[in-house]
Amino acid sequence: MPLLMKRHSVLPGFGLAAGYTLLYLSLIVLIPLAAMALRAAQMPLGDIWKLLTDPRVLAACKLSFGASFAAAFLNMIFGLLVAWVLVRYSFPGKRIVDALVDLPFALPTAVAGIALTTLYAPNGWMGAALKPLGIKVAYTPLGVVVALTFIGLPFVVRTVQPVLEDLDREIEEAAASLGATRFQTFTRVLLPAVLPALLAGFGMAFARAIGEYGSVVFISGNMPMKTEILPLLIMTKLEQYDYVGATAIGVLMLVISFGLLFVINALQRWSGARAAAH
Amino acid sequence: MSIVVNNITKEFGNFVALRDVSLEIPSGGLMALLGPSGSGKTTLLRIIAGLEVPNAGSIVIDGEDISTQSARDRSVGFVFQHYALFKHMSVFENVAFGLRVRPRTTRPAKSEIQDRVMTLLKLVQLEHMAHRYPSQLSGGQRQRVALSRALAVEPKVLLLDEPFGALDAKVRKELRRWLRRLHDELHVTSVFVTHDQEEALEVADQIVVMSQGRIEQVGSPEEVYHHPATPFVYHFLGDVNLFHVRYEDGAMVVTEHNGHSGNGHAKDAGVGFVRPHGFEITRLAESDKAIPARIVHINAAGPYVKLELAGEQGGLFQVSVTQETYKGLALKRSDDVFVTPREVRVFEHDYAI
Repeated sequence: MPLLMKRHSVLPGFGLAAGYTLLYLSLIVLIPLAAMALRAAQMPLGDIWKLLTDPRVLAACKLSFGASFAAAFLNMIFGLLVAWVLVRYSFPGKRIVDALVDLPFALPTAVAGIALTTLYAPNGWMGAALKPLGIKVAYTPLGVVVALTFIGLPFVVRTVQPVLEDLDREIEEAAASLGATRFQTFTRVLLPAVLPALLAGFGMAFARAIGEYGSVVFISGNMPMKTEILPLLIMTKLEQYDYVGATAIGVLMLVISFGLLFVINALQRWSGARAAAH
Repeated sequence: MSIVVNNITKEFGNFVALRDVSLEIPSGGLMALLGPSGSGKTTLLRIIAGLEVPNAGSIVIDGEDISTQSARDRSVGFVFQHYALFKHMSVFENVAFGLRVRPRTTRPAKSEIQDRVMTLLKLVQLEHMAHRYPSQLSGGQRQRVALSRALAVEPKVLLLDEPFGALDAKVRKELRRWLRRLHDELHVTSVFVTHDQEEALEVADQIVVMSQGRIEQVGSPEEVYHHPATPFVYHFLGDVNLFHVRYEDGAMVVTEHNGHSGNGHAKDAGVGFVRPHGFEITRLAESDKAIPARIVHINAAGPYVKLELAGEQGGLFQVSVTQETYKGLALKRSDDVFVTPREVRVFEHDYAI
């Protein structure tokens, strides 16, 4: 310890700040998660395996992660577009549009779920319009994707926006004067520059979508094997007083989410590292 | 290849950046656009490059009117003040960019791109940095990368927008001499924008002095320095002292300028401009032309001694004398001396600084 203490830093308070960070993270994140894992560990391994390979759990798992991935991917593309429009152009009502982006953050997700269900139900505005085309949204996996896209949009827009604002106009002009077309400038110059932020936004939208419950339960219809998501399955188990089973599914979600977020972070780090350490 | 600028006018809202500017830049020349900020020099450069669209006028490069061409079709090399390098690409990839984005039919083979980029990097003495990223380079190195990136596409003309503006003084001086040598090797028609008169005088063959969207004078460094066409040019190129000039019985009388322009004397012929080295300084009044003054500050560091003098009417002027004169007269602060202007350039109309 005395050796460590002697390392003076220009930025004071490392010990205090790190201690506080650890305590805070432990109280808020680590201890509850550990308690959940402990609770799940009360179940014999064989039972856990049986529970997790239950076709109903597997189907919910596939839907949860598949729909979340699809929603985050959609948000990555259209979120970039929204951020681009908000940064690059000025138009009347721009501030209102900018504020609209944050609405999914502020709205109780159940309200969003009810609104979306009303719209996309076979007798709703959108649902009725889509019906002749043979597209059903409400009470299908597609409805789950729609709800998850709605709640995930702000994450991508808000992470990409500042990076786009910082991008120098001159690098586009440089690319143009070197003979690049607009498309080449976008794919070779702009996209690599915003890629780390885009991946970060994707990661956050994805994580948010996996944990989402409120909006999905209304639009999905919650049909076992078809439109049931993992958080709903946990709720069902809890309602049946199967606490251990619920925590086991929780741990499963935790492990998969952590793995995926870790991969996304690594990708983001890698794409950022190519822009070199500053 | 020559560049001809015909009657270019550019407005940004109510602000007129360029007023009917015409200019001819000879093939193989190195020309400086010199002027204070807001004089329109950068706007003119960007219009030549196609990065800005003029309200009126045309640009002709090598006999071809390119006014309607987009920046990417003009084959003009452009170097930005803040380098504008692609941060996520290595030095090599930055330089190769212009060749890589060509359509397949005109794109050189991989090995040829490799050769050409390495030749250019050797030219700017950065061949050992090819795999570094821009953030790992110093400012001077980044600007050299930017320059070789612009040269890689073999542009008809090279345009540089305050290329050394973001660098510190020592690197700036090195780099501008290096640019001069590089130009002498390559002979590509080049135009660079600067607000630094010393830089323009040292590097360029021809200097275009601009002010408020107009060209004040075009000429060689000697011409614009020794024979300024307008009071603005006189003022902008080097330090200058102002005096009242009037004629009495045919003889020029130079008196102290009180700092205000045009104080309404009918006999005023105008304002006399005297460079700091255009004075005789004496202890005693040797003629009736001598102007009494007091030394308020002495800076003896450097090849010349710079004196700041206060006249009887409170006007301040800068005089530089040789170290010999300074020591010979044993000048000290607060000494009373007399100065006689040797070379006075008079502009008929009064000129406000």
